[in-house]
Amino acid sequence: MTTEDLNTDDTGASGRPGLRTSPLHERHVALGAKLADFGGWSMPIEYAGGGVVAEHTAVRERVGVFDVSHLGKARVAGPGAADFVNRCFTNDLRRVGPGRAQYTMCLDKSGGVVDDLIQYLVGDDEVFLIPNAANTARVVELLRAAAPEGITVTDEHDRYGVIAVQGTRSDEVLKSLGLPVGHDYMSFVQAEWEGEPVIVCRTGYTGERGYELLPRWASAPRLWDALLTAVQDEGGLPCGLGARDTLRTEMGYPLHGNDLGPDITPVMAGAAWAVGWDKDTFWGKGAVAAQRAAKESRLMRGLVATGRGIPRAHCAVLSGSEVVGEVTSGTFSPTRKQGIALALLDRSVAVGDEVVIDVRGREIPAEVVKPPFVEVSVRED
Amino acid sequence: MSEIPADLRYTAEHEWVKEQGDGVVRVGITAYAAEALGDVVFVSLPAVGARVSAGEACGEVESTKSVSDLYAPADGEIVAVNETLDSTPESVNTDPYGEGWMYDLRLSDGAAPAAMLDAEGYSAILD
Repeated sequence: MTTEDLNTDDTGASGRPGLRTSPLHERHVALGAKLADFGGWSMPIEYAGGGVVAEHTAVRERVGVFDVSHLGKARVAGPGAADFVNRCFTNDLRRVGPGRAQYTMCLDKSGGVVDDLIQYLVGDDEVFLIPNAANTARVVELLRAAAPEGITVTDEHDRYGVIAVQGTRSDEVLKSLGLPVGHDYMSFVQAEWEGEPVIVCRTGYTGERGYELLPRWASAPRLWDALLTAVQDEGGLPCGLGARDTLRTEMGYPLHGNDLGPDITPVMAGAAWAVGWDKDTFWGKGAVAAQRAAKESRLMRGLVATGRGIPRAHCAVLSGSEVVGEVTSGTFSPTRKQGIALALLDRSVAVGDEVVIDVRGREIPAEVVKPPFVEVSVRED
Repeated sequence: MSEIPADLRYTAEHEWVKEQGDGVVRVGITAYAAEALGDVVFVSLPAVGARVSAGEACGEVESTKSVSDLYAPADGEIVAVNETLDSTPESVNTDPYGEGWMYDLRLSDGAAPAAMLDAEGYSAILD
């Protein structure tokens, strides 16, 4: 293998020039994390003494704590802010009440996905957004350009840290810090920890029961220390973004830039459930409504490798000698111990079909399935 | 700093080579490479009997996040492969110089592993 293959960025405490760092950066360095560029941020892929498989398994079987402070934060405020956001993004905020979070998408005119994000309905006059790190500036710019007089859009990227606690033992971890637990899936609670405000959201990207906590930037390190101790007491691990990726892939959750993007619309990505089709308007509505009606576009499916090998993004998918699709995300499933993938496939291919994935010239047989690839417990009371 | 045994020879491609006698060498990847790749979850090795040329890609090592080629260190014939890696690819991480070996190569007549480094030389390229 070449040194380029092994380009893990073992930057020191200062981080790599040009990359932004999380409020927990020094904690990661002290924990021996391998760091890499995620959307312009130097973030941990995995920790010394852990590794992707062990960290993944900790979340599936017990609990893990992740730093996802690179995620964007933005606030839309002013009279009618919720109605304004509802006219921009795909999902219908009227389906949820204050204190609830909702998955939504920001589309361009042609229906391409500028970003997928979580919107938190604080009230009629305030919506808090968590966009992807690399897309935050663009989403904020688009909202500002469209905002009517009186509505402000604030980029609060470095005002909050984001710490995710995910896994069946998440409640025990939060309880040991005196934080609220057990609220409904996709709801959030404003709480306090050691005199500092922290928002506790019942959300995540792993498919396990869990929470995402938003402390203020400056109080994130102390909260991380307390959570990490509690997680370790429960037999869990600090987890990097490598495990986050295998966990989300096992759930079939799309990743922007791979499974969603300018050329992959919500209709293609199987995310039509996150579109408020009855709404009068949202950005890109005309284009995605037409694509939905035409029923011609490729659709996102799951692939399970039945032969030995690991599909990767951009591998061609074949049926006989005909190319019928392309892998958008592929990895090794630590839970199933086999290769899995998300792929955009022609509509002629059905769930249950056998296909072949061209993995760098080797043909790996695979079965077409409907994700998730593992059992789901995320919504359990 | 990862372990670099003094009794092995190394390539710039992060592979180690060990003399087995009778013109056969054993090949694996270094602790540094295994550590940098992360958890190895799949190893694709050449077939026994295959002839390889020095510098030729003859296999693949995959971790959860990436794939890397294995390069033959010299001309020769594959005479054995480590089949236990099919079921326990994690040996590459836990014991890269032992249980995690990849394949045995019988060097072609007169062939010698080219541009090989000793432990000190390999250590120097990691700095």
